[in-house]
Amino acid sequence: MSTAVQKPVIPRLLQAALVIAGIYAGFWLIFDLILAQPIPQSLMVMYMFFVVSGVFMVFTFTEESARQLIAPIRALVEDQTKKTLRNVVFIVVPALAAVAVFFQLQPSDEAPLELRSIHPAPPSSVKIFGKRYDLMSLENPYRHLEKDDPEQFQELVAVGGEVYIRNCQYCHGDKLDGKGPYAQGLNPVPLNFQDIGTIAQLQESFLFWRIATGGPGLPKEATPWISSMPIWQEFLSEEEIWQVILYLYDYTGHRPRSWEHE
Amino acid sequence: MTRKNKNFGSQSIPLRPRDGICGLYASSSRLSYSLSVVVLAILLLGVSTGVFVGAGDTVAEASGSAADGLAAAVIAPPELTAADYPTIAGVNGRVTVWLVAQLHLWFAAFVLAVPIFVFIIEAIGMRTRDKRYDEMAYEFIKISITAYSLTAILGGLLLFSLIVFYPHLFQYLSGVFGESMFYYALLFFAESAALYLYYYGWQWLQGGFRKWVHLTLGLLLNAAGTTLMFLANGWVTFMMSPAGVDPAGVFAGDTWAAMHNYLWNPINLHRFIANIAYGGSIVGAYAAFRFLSATRPEERAHYDWMGYNANFIAILALLPLPFAGYYLAAEIYAYSQQMGITLMGGIFAWLFIIQAVLIGTLFLSANYYLWCGMGRSDGAQRYNKFIKYLAIVIIASFLVWFTPHTLVLTNEELKVLGGPYHKYLGPLGIMPAKNTAVNIMILFTALSFLFYRRSNRIATVAWVKAGNTAQLALYTAGIANLLFLGVYHGYFTNTVYKVAASIPQVMTTLIVIVVSLGLDSAMYRGAREVAPLNWGRVPNRAQYALFLLAVAFTWLMGLMGYIRSGIRQHWHVTDVFRDNSLDAYTPTLGYAANVVSAGTILFMAMVIFIFWLSQVSSRKTPTEGFGNQAEGR
Amino acid sequence: MKNFLQVIAFSLLMIGFFAAFSNFGIPEIQPAPPPVQEKLDLGAMTPERFITLGEKLFNGKGTCALCHNAVGGRAPPLDRVATLASERLADSRYQGGANDVQGYLVESLVDPSAYVVAGFGKAGSGDTESPMPNAAAGSIGLSEVEVNAVVAYLQDLAGTEVTVEIPKGTEGEATGPEPVTGTARTALASAEEIIDRFGCVACHKLAGKGGEIGPDLTQIGASKDASYLRQAILDPAAEIVEGYPPIMPVTYEVELYAGELELLVQYLAALK
Repeated sequence: MSTAVQKPVIPRLLQAALVIAGIYAGFWLIFDLILAQPIPQSLMVMYMFFVVSGVFMVFTFTEESARQLIAPIRALVEDQTKKTLRNVVFIVVPALAAVAVFFQLQPSDEAPLELRSIHPAPPSSVKIFGKRYDLMSLENPYRHLEKDDPEQFQELVAVGGEVYIRNCQYCHGDKLDGKGPYAQGLNPVPLNFQDIGTIAQLQESFLFWRIATGGPGLPKEATPWISSMPIWQEFLSEEEIWQVILYLYDYTGHRPRSWEHE
Repeated sequence: MTRKNKNFGSQSIPLRPRDGICGLYASSSRLSYSLSVVVLAILLLGVSTGVFVGAGDTVAEASGSAADGLAAAVIAPPELTAADYPTIAGVNGRVTVWLVAQLHLWFAAFVLAVPIFVFIIEAIGMRTRDKRYDEMAYEFIKISITAYSLTAILGGLLLFSLIVFYPHLFQYLSGVFGESMFYYALLFFAESAALYLYYYGWQWLQGGFRKWVHLTLGLLLNAAGTTLMFLANGWVTFMMSPAGVDPAGVFAGDTWAAMHNYLWNPINLHRFIANIAYGGSIVGAYAAFRFLSATRPEERAHYDWMGYNANFIAILALLPLPFAGYYLAAEIYAYSQQMGITLMGGIFAWLFIIQAVLIGTLFLSANYYLWCGMGRSDGAQRYNKFIKYLAIVIIASFLVWFTPHTLVLTNEELKVLGGPYHKYLGPLGIMPAKNTAVNIMILFTALSFLFYRRSNRIATVAWVKAGNTAQLALYTAGIANLLFLGVYHGYFTNTVYKVAASIPQVMTTLIVIVVSLGLDSAMYRGAREVAPLNWGRVPNRAQYALFLLAVAFTWLMGLMGYIRSGIRQHWHVTDVFRDNSLDAYTPTLGYAANVVSAGTILFMAMVIFIFWLSQVSSRKTPTEGFGNQAEGR
Repeated sequence: MKNFLQVIAFSLLMIGFFAAFSNFGIPEIQPAPPPVQEKLDLGAMTPERFITLGEKLFNGKGTCALCHNAVGGRAPPLDRVATLASERLADSRYQGGANDVQGYLVESLVDPSAYVVAGFGKAGSGDTESPMPNAAAGSIGLSEVEVNAVVAYLQDLAGTEVTVEIPKGTEGEATGPEPVTGTARTALASAEEIIDRFGCVACHKLAGKGGEIGPDLTQIGASKDASYLRQAILDPAAEIVEGYPPIMPVTYEVELYAGELELLVQYLAALK
């Protein structure tokens, strides 16, 4: 029966390997290259594990296909003419595994993994400058000037810019892109305000809370212990914080999120 | 945290019924083996309850029955300290109770489920007059007989460990459930009697009226077994959602109210369905084991056929199981929002990722078994080219289902992603996406089955083309509806509707499956067979898929047992009886997984031993030169 | 025999895979230990600490924040509840027996169904039955003092006056793995000691002696009552006496224990 069947152009084992490699490359192409949002390694391992299982299932559910898949491996082990190749494979494969294990077990200076939430749910109210602020209704006291008195608004933005350059740009960058001179030394990285996913998604009161209480003011799920954001209420005045917030939105062109328009 | 209580009786159990059973069937050696074990277990239980009652000061020796004595005293949970929990050096009480309870549950699930589908298969055999069904039913029940005595032994062991490690809890529970424990013991006798009559009378009660008597015995057996489970479920759910007691836990005296608590029926339904799926998978593993060790072709054919049927039962019961699970979870939420959030959030959130891996494994191995089974007929080659598309959809759905909402990221990845949330994978982490994925997975499993059904036949009815088009349209519409419901309700409406979409989704899936199967059986009525179905012509790999089904099922049950019990947190009985032992904390998932793994290994070892026993029982060694006759020759 | 071993090896492999995934494939989160019952020194309780205790109970043992949060939508937000209370007391749907804000708040914790915010009732009950458990019973089991602490927190959260009685001197039970924040000292026993300890006479005149930076307190009881004095100590900026600079420290709210504050206020009010 098998003699009548034409041998496939590509051996089954190679086919399987190509399919798996193709799917992996597809993931990489789509998520890393096109979408610029790579799949985290921990998830990728599991994805590929089940992809490999699936490919194995498809390639072995008929007896003939399974035989063809295993034929090269069987030949390698049993065929006396491939003795040299066998010896090479039997040395190289375990050696590769050993090398992989060796590097995997190397201690590294990478911090242990933490489940970190960057924009944690804010508390409904918070104590800043000895006063209690209700974050749900708190608004930037200068925001109304944008319409009422554009000139004064621009002045305040300029003041905010100065506050920013004196205090913030070292980490968050002079282009507000999170790439200041010190940014490389920090982990987690300083926030990139230009990104549509950061301040554009937040209310001004959230920024006020984050700036005033800094890293230590984060709730537990946001790992306050690894954030290096200072507690700015100890260095800046309330007015300065509001002004710098004006500047952040003005420079990046984002609009603060507001519940009224939704 | 798993604590289940099973008491097989109090000291007042009369000895007569046991003598009766012994006397009746003493002739069979197999029987006396299993019976002696059961008798031993019951005797031990009698002694143990005697010890327990003696220790409890609420029962006056002089008063007539234990129940009367207990009802007179106030039954209230005591305030305990860590010192109130007996310790035995080197033995962790919680792990002991946990493991024994879980092992008992596995065996109990198996021995309760097998009679259910044995009864159905026997009925099918009676209707179709196909001898094969009757033989298969007989073989199924044969396997469960040995498991039955193991269930009883483990039940006794569980009782012992509860009394030894949690005497106060047991005292409280037996105070509340005194009478029902007594009924439990009586029912256990009834079940044993029915089971032994059913099994040993199988060949005797054949044909005509006798067969009807036999089938009725099967019904009685199932009624007794299911009632037993419901009773025990009442005790377990009382610990989760106590009823019939006041907020301080003082028992009002109505055992039925305590039994009929909030989560009783959801658990009853869920366990009933899951038991059938589980029983099917264990019998499938048995068939696989026998297939692998079979030497003769007809043996292979028989066990292949048996394995196929067992797998079919398992999958059939597996399909509605997620929906019973939803119902249970919804009722837990309705009972206590706090318990519901504990269930779905916090550390247990990750448990559902493990659960996804397990259920994915179940679906994958069940599908793989079907695909391999298509090799039984040469006619199936027509469909081989479609399998890869089924595989792609099932794997893709599985990957969606498996994607967690919170990703584990290295700091490097955090930098690249610019935050902990993945823009494109994040939305796959929430319930609507997962519901959609699992429904599609179920639909495609049904599709696999449809291909399998068609593998050796060609429809001859006039409307084949129309029928196929209708099938295609049905599946397309079903999938479109699933996707629409999932995407629209999941991402474009507010939170309230996210979960609401799951019900129409479930209905869609069920309707598509039922209608398409109905349509298909109409289409293939009187179909022409293109190639014979060669039972036994199936690769060994498929048998391993069956084995994987059983292993994954066992492990999954253990895992879900951990969470069912774990959501009570530091309570013996939720909100009324606090657990103040040193082990009152919730163990981590990894720790729980290790306990579950150890339990699964123990269970599988016992199960394989039972399989092996059933093989040994049919072997005969010629005794040449040993017996007297040989000498005489 | 070969099959037997193969099947066993296969089963072990699969079980090993499941166990390995559970141990290494997902993050290991250590569940919080069960709450420990611990004695708390309520004698050393300031209004500020009492509110902090309430906040901790709200987020921790009380499990309130599980549902009453900004994202869940399972229960009404409580940040303004103290200001809304009077409105709710007047509502025709109100079933309870409270007649002031504090009473309403306490009642809402122990008898949640007395008033159900529209849209948050149990499904099918038409907002007459609350899904919330009694916070003083069952698995939450807040003590009376703890309920008051939560109410104090809620009142402070809304920016209204904290009217609940701060416990002084008596011991009660409160919960938390660590004691309430701040370093504890022994409560002072007399007003003289308190005045001495906090150096009041550096600015104020008492019995004719002392500084002149703040108003003379020698006969302060003649013109001001206890509640004014209490406010003047806790929140000095609320009302500044004409001609004096607004420089009195605001820290007494944190530093003074509730018992001490009462002693001091009564002592001053008696100076006539």
